[in-house]
Amino acid sequence: MKSPRSDIPQGTLDLLILRVVALGPIHGYAIAQRLQQVSRDVLQVQQGSLYPALHRLENKNLLVAEWGPSDTGRDAKFYRLTARGRAQLKTETASWSRLTEAIGLVLRDPAAGDQS
Amino acid sequence: MTWWRRLAGRSRLEIELDAELRDHMARLAADHERAGLTPDEARRLARLSFGGADPIKEACRDVRGTRWLEDIVRDLRLAVRALSASRSFTTIALLVLALSIGASTAIFSVVDAVVLQALPFDEADRLVAIGETSLKRNNMGVVAPQNFLDWKARQDVFTDMAAVAWGGLTLKAQDGQEPETLFGRQVTASFFTVLRTPPIIGRLFTVDNEVDGNARVALISYGLWQRRFGGALDVIGKPLPGQRGDVEIVGVMPRGFSYPVGARDVTDVWMPLVIPPDGRVRGHNYAYYLDVIARLRDGISIERAQARLDQIEAGMAVETPSWFEDRGVRVESMHTFVTGYARTWMLLLLGAVGCVLLIAIVNLATLTLVRATSRGRELGIRSALGASRWDLARGLLIESLVLSLAGAGLGVVVAWAGVDILRSAMPAAIPRVANIAISFRVLSATIVTALVTGLACGLAPVLQFSRRTPAPSLHERGRANTAGAERQRLRTILVTTEVALAVILLVGSGLFLTSFARVAAVDLGLDAHDVLTLRIRPLVGPRELQGALQQNRARLTEVLDRVRTIPGVQVASVLDGGLPFRGDLKTADLSIPGRTLPPAFQEIDRNQISPDYFKALHVPLRQGRLFADSDHDGGEPVVIFNDEAARALFPNENAIGQIVNLDGPRRIVGIVGNIRHGGPESDLRREAFVPLAQSRVLGGTLVVRTSQPLSAVLPSIKAAIWTQFPDLALPDISTLDHYLDSMTAQRRVSMLLIGMFGLLGLCIAAVGIYGVMAYVVTQRTQEIGIRMALGAVPATILWSVLQRASRQLLGGLALGLAGAWWLGGLVGDFLFRVGPHDALVYLGATGVLAVVGLLAALLPARRAAGINPIITLRSE
Repeated sequence: MKSPRSDIPQGTLDLLILRVVALGPIHGYAIAQRLQQVSRDVLQVQQGSLYPALHRLENKNLLVAEWGPSDTGRDAKFYRLTARGRAQLKTETASWSRLTEAIGLVLRDPAAGDQS
Repeated sequence: MTWWRRLAGRSRLEIELDAELRDHMARLAADHERAGLTPDEARRLARLSFGGADPIKEACRDVRGTRWLEDIVRDLRLAVRALSASRSFTTIALLVLALSIGASTAIFSVVDAVVLQALPFDEADRLVAIGETSLKRNNMGVVAPQNFLDWKARQDVFTDMAAVAWGGLTLKAQDGQEPETLFGRQVTASFFTVLRTPPIIGRLFTVDNEVDGNARVALISYGLWQRRFGGALDVIGKPLPGQRGDVEIVGVMPRGFSYPVGARDVTDVWMPLVIPPDGRVRGHNYAYYLDVIARLRDGISIERAQARLDQIEAGMAVETPSWFEDRGVRVESMHTFVTGYARTWMLLLLGAVGCVLLIAIVNLATLTLVRATSRGRELGIRSALGASRWDLARGLLIESLVLSLAGAGLGVVVAWAGVDILRSAMPAAIPRVANIAISFRVLSATIVTALVTGLACGLAPVLQFSRRTPAPSLHERGRANTAGAERQRLRTILVTTEVALAVILLVGSGLFLTSFARVAAVDLGLDAHDVLTLRIRPLVGPRELQGALQQNRARLTEVLDRVRTIPGVQVASVLDGGLPFRGDLKTADLSIPGRTLPPAFQEIDRNQISPDYFKALHVPLRQGRLFADSDHDGGEPVVIFNDEAARALFPNENAIGQIVNLDGPRRIVGIVGNIRHGGPESDLRREAFVPLAQSRVLGGTLVVRTSQPLSAVLPSIKAAIWTQFPDLALPDISTLDHYLDSMTAQRRVSMLLIGMFGLLGLCIAAVGIYGVMAYVVTQRTQEIGIRMALGAVPATILWSVLQRASRQLLGGLALGLAGAWWLGGLVGDFLFRVGPHDALVYLGATGVLAVVGLLAALLPARRAAGINPIITLRSE
């Protein structure tokens, strides 16, 4: 086994997808690969979660999809952000940072960390 | 994408989804290949790590948000398939639903139009009607003008009060058209402000028009405006050619304005009400003929208005006590005034049809339950294959909803056909009959009914099924086992309810049928068949009165002589007084020399007749003689009494030869049989008959017995009348039969409808019993087979099935009889010469239901008895 893997916390998959798609049109398989690579194999997204999430975002008009030629020669479904998706990414990123920072503050609280 | 576009483009989405996942898998395999695997291995590994594509697809479909709709569409398709698979169940269920929902819809459309709809006036709930009452009878009666004027002058609870009197307008013959009488009302100018309805064109008339000489103005209805004037805008100021002079049209009322509200005879003209001088003083002219309406002031309740008017009336009674013996005043809402008469009857019909509907629902629930139980295996398999309880329950509910909505659809067709029949069958006295229609409101009620029915019927098996785990139902091999005790109990309750409701309906039908039979059996005292009646009512102005009184009798006699010679006329006579079954009477003061009569006897119905009147109506002579041609002005004044008058006034002596004062002294020369004047259900009246030749009359009613159809003799009779009364409109031409029919119309409609509902209820209940027993027999086939193999004889089997059916029947009968007994008290007022607890009717209903119920059970019982044990046991 490689390095330990983590399940993606509930509700953050959408944010991660938005982040990856923000870089430019990309198909589902590449999204999964990219998430894995960038997280140094920590985050593994299962197809069973990825595609429903993609479709959900598409239905919410945060993503649009288009079929286009790909490196394999076959057409693939490329996702890109909509203006709404971009705005959503911005607010979600900000709130995620705030949240992790706050959680970090609590975890680093010397008064609470005495026992260890 | 909006959800409906996702739904519409479903097949494209599916293809894309499939392609997308395939693409993913291909890329995965390609990566594995690059890592050094053979293509086959790479593909295998990709498939393995990818997992099943179907769960992913399912998850993707779920996020589309159209899943529920797709499920429902699939359930609908399944429901239709399941329903068409069990054809006999579906047919019976649809039939039951179509008839019961159809009947309910039709009756509800009548009740809605007649009773429930608000009156078509602004703030109609503030409108009241005010009537005079007899304190003894507490009825809502018409008002004397003197009282109306005093109330109006003294009251402070209404914004205004208005009086309405009957007043037609007879138009002259024009352009070859026969003279025409328009239905109309004479109204005070305040009438339109009370109702808050201005004319659409022209103006209202004013108080200034309420005097003789200024009153020849009219507001006309929208209908008349369109019909006679083609909706021309210059109609204002034009004359209506009335027979007593032209009437100027001053305005046109808006479309849909009608008063009296919803009367069958559409009112076309409203003219000023002129109260004559003797109607303004409290002399000896007691004429009660006004309807009074008013609008309550803001903040004043009906009770408060009533109290105030009571107070005013008490004050008036102090001033002229003779006017207020036994008189009171009553204020009621205009809605009650318009619908009051019909309300209870309508509620009764609604109750009866509601009972039918309830039986149908219970019946359907029973059948659905039976069907679901025998489908336990199918449901068990579906559940084992992964259908959730919600899936199964939804399926069952949708199936039941599909059924009930389809039934309601058919029911609307039934109702649509029935409503026309109902409308024309309604008695003329029922208000707003013209409004009866399957309106949006009625349709909504029908749809709600269907949904409730569907849910109620679908719920029973759902409750039962969702409590079960799939395993036992798979185990239960469809038919081999007997049903669980709990299910049996529910079924028994449903069948018992059905039978009980059917008993109630049957008892009701019995009571109404008996009433109708008793009404039909009443001796009316005359033969109403083949009698034609025409009212001759010449218009006579006050100045022409003396001349008319001297001439019109001779003219009537001349008409009579001419009519007699018309082929097809058997007997011709004329009457001025109360025509039987027409609802009108003329009374006169009566006294007997040397005696004081009790007040009630000081009045008698007076009919002025030509000698052949009794012959025309086949009224029998009991004693003495009929009138002869010699009974004229020169001879001794004579009178004929009916039995009732003779018996009441001369209880212990022979009436013949006695002298009474009725327009002067007259000798009683004959006694004739009683006529049920007000129809079969009316009380007998004291009647006196005076020869026409000894009376002064202005007009009368021709009463002609014919031997040929009406159309054959009518033109000649009309021509005969017009020789003496040129230009006379003849609006009241009818056969006596027709008047009698309209008097018994309500009873006939009640009898037919409730009888029909009873029959329907009986049939539905029989279907229910049959369905349940047939199911029970099917379930017990194996058990019965074993029993027979062990030596039971067919008769025993037959008996055991029948026994079981009769247990359910007996419970239902007992419950139903108790219910009918309790409800019977409510319909007492609608019955005629039969008590609401008539033993024969109850026995009859019980008997009919018991026989029909057992017959329904006999079919499956015979099948059970015919079971061949060998075949049955082998089939397992």
